[in-house]
Amino acid sequence: MANTIPFQLITPLSVKFDGEAELVIVVGTEGEVGILPSHAPFLTALRPGVLRANVRDAGGAPKRLELACSEGFMQALPGKVTVLADMALEPDEIDIAQARADLEAAQEALRAAGGELAAVRAAMAQVDFANAKLAVAGVT
Amino acid sequence: MPSVRDLRDRIRSLKNTQQITKAMKQVAAAKIRRADALQKRSRPYADAIGAMLRDLIANVGSVDHPFMKPGREDAPGGVILMTADKGLAGSFNANLIRAAELHGRSNANLAWYAVGIKSRNALRRQRGETLQFWPLAQGVMFDNAQELARRVSDDFTQGRIASLTLVSPKLVNMMTQRPEVRPILPIAPSGDAAADPRSGSVEFEPSPEFVLGRLLPKYLEFTLYSAMLETNASFYAAQLVAMNNATDNAKKLIDENTVEMNKARQAAITKEILEIVGGAEALAG
Repeated sequence: MANTIPFQLITPLSVKFDGEAELVIVVGTEGEVGILPSHAPFLTALRPGVLRANVRDAGGAPKRLELACSEGFMQALPGKVTVLADMALEPDEIDIAQARADLEAAQEALRAAGGELAAVRAAMAQVDFANAKLAVAGVT
Repeated sequence: MPSVRDLRDRIRSLKNTQQITKAMKQVAAAKIRRADALQKRSRPYADAIGAMLRDLIANVGSVDHPFMKPGREDAPGGVILMTADKGLAGSFNANLIRAAELHGRSNANLAWYAVGIKSRNALRRQRGETLQFWPLAQGVMFDNAQELARRVSDDFTQGRIASLTLVSPKLVNMMTQRPEVRPILPIAPSGDAAADPRSGSVEFEPSPEFVLGRLLPKYLEFTLYSAMLETNASFYAAQLVAMNNATDNAKKLIDENTVEMNKARQAAITKEILEIVGGAEALAG
């Protein structure tokens, strides 16, 4: 049996996942980060993107988890991995038409942002989140 | 002495009132369950973000972030007053408004933010100015909280307010809600910043300062969100109690009036009999 670590994915509205994981891959501000059991203590900010994890479901069978996450944080401690995100959506929670509209609106906002740094950042985060939603829903 | 008919009308209207208060009590009981569940579901996030913040502060040592430094001294102190959108909850809103007034009396220079329709109305009456306000339970509460957090953090970092205080109810238990005044900004580096011993040397990506810069606004956002959840739950708890009392009072009034009505009816009958007897005697005499 492969090595696992307790993994929690928490949003303000609910606990999306709470169980054992073999591998957790998140999109950090510096790029994708994969966490395996017994990773060194680690704390990073997350960009909106697709969170992937190999987890065990309640019966102990391996399962692949893919969720579209908005901005958040990930903390890896020797005994557990915690991901905090404003939103974490599973494929069946994503409205594809809405996500497409979000993407277009975000791209529009990005064009309109001009040179203002904060606006560009906010728009880019929205573009990333919309793309992540589409990716998780299986649309490219 | 009111007539039997008057009393019967009064009892009928009391019964209607009782029905309404009873219905509102049941609605409040259902809503408080939902509000409470929402609050419970947000608790893991609260614990996790609090733990992260403590670890971070313990690791970073001296913290250089606008949220953790005192604001501009000559700027007014910001106060958020959180109340419900609706009334009919006993002294719930009034208590919060009074707590805010007391706070206002000891601090002269204040700028107010209103959350909840009752809060807006009270502040408008008191100060004669229209402020930006956020409804408590209309729209998506988390979105409202985010918008409020953005506004107050902008005002704080740009020196429009010197500090931020929150006046909101604390749900002690289902029977008791107490207004609470607590400072929000600047965030005090907590004394119990002793790090989790397991997180001895934590790696930060890209840097502790960057992560902290991201984490603190989130923390503020979430603090306000959870205060709004608590306000909502407290409101329904207060309403439940108020409506319960109202139903009891209506019942008491109905009982009193029924006794009165029976007495009046009895008196009328007695009077009639006396009249008949008197008449009969007059005829016989």
